[in-house]
Amino acid sequence: MDIDQLKDISDRSYRIAINKKNALEKARSSMLLAYQGHLFQVDAQMINLVQVLKSKQKKFVILDSNDNPMMVEDADDFLDKLIEKQQEALNIYHQAYNESVTKG
Amino acid sequence: MKGVLLYCFNTESYRYDKIAAKTVPLLKKNLKLPITIVTNMETFKCMPPLGFVNYKLIDNETGNKINQKSWHNLDRHRAYELSPYEKTILLDIDYFCYSDHLLTLADTDQDFMVHDKVHDVTGYDSYKFARNSMIPMVWATVIIFRKTQRAESIFDMVKYIKERYSYFCELYRIDFKNFRNDYAFAIALHQLGGFKGYETIPTKLPTLPASARVIEISDSQVSWNHQGRVGKISGNDLHIIDKGVQNV
Repeated sequence: MDIDQLKDISDRSYRIAINKKNALEKARSSMLLAYQGHLFQVDAQMINLVQVLKSKQKKFVILDSNDNPMMVEDADDFLDKLIEKQQEALNIYHQAYNESVTKG
Repeated sequence: MKGVLLYCFNTESYRYDKIAAKTVPLLKKNLKLPITIVTNMETFKCMPPLGFVNYKLIDNETGNKINQKSWHNLDRHRAYELSPYEKTILLDIDYFCYSDHLLTLADTDQDFMVHDKVHDVTGYDSYKFARNSMIPMVWATVIIFRKTQRAESIFDMVKYIKERYSYFCELYRIDFKNFRNDYAFAIALHQLGGFKGYETIPTKLPTLPASARVIEISDSQVSWNHQGRVGKISGNDLHIIDKGVQNV
């Protein structure tokens, strides 16, 4: 390969990396849930925590994104919303990722 | 009632009314909230038809500069009194809203929130200010506030700091000697938070730095050229620093 081809590969890698990073940040911005006046950054840890606590207790307290406590009264509803929010954002990220890798 | 508050003052160098012509329709489309623009008579006369928008005309304070050019940023502390809304989304006029993320932020009981983290969409991590002051900077580009005593006290504190900015610059060893709202709010939050911390927006502020030239704007995406490389972002909000965006 000559240097022009190598440069093209480098440029393509750069575009893919930037597109991926921007799409991921967009997904993170989408993975915010406002619930009963609190704000939650939805991630795998949060979903797992709620799932585990729900299996042990009917009501429980968790911390929002600014470490303020919230009593979860309806765990099923809260978990459904967390999962919905996360999957909605990740589906969009999945599409963007595939497009980015295939098109470069 | 929720609403969006914007500041828009033309300078000798920049036509912010032209930027408003691009950002206001995006806000209407994606947030569907009432909008109020704080401006002066001179800028108001230049404003294009933007549909139903409230205007608050003020005699803005002048005298501040950035890169030897006029910078009309001295009235941000008045947002609390000027906002007609119970919950306000206060935005820079160059914030391009391509999503409804701000609605989620406004749907909480927090009385004051700002970003303390930024995401440079060019991938160059242009914004590293850790060594430019003794306190972390916040970004006054997006401020979500409610009409509460605490929020009012923050804006009053910003006014106090603005009037003594050189003193606070020395106190916090801030490198940027011209008044900057980002630091004024950071100081106000630091002082009023008992020097212990404050609540922030948990996500990063997506920003296109001044070194990138915007080449295309549509109602769904922005494209730019940065050091010969073309990039684009779609469906996500973007704070565009390049004032050349007024002519794109």
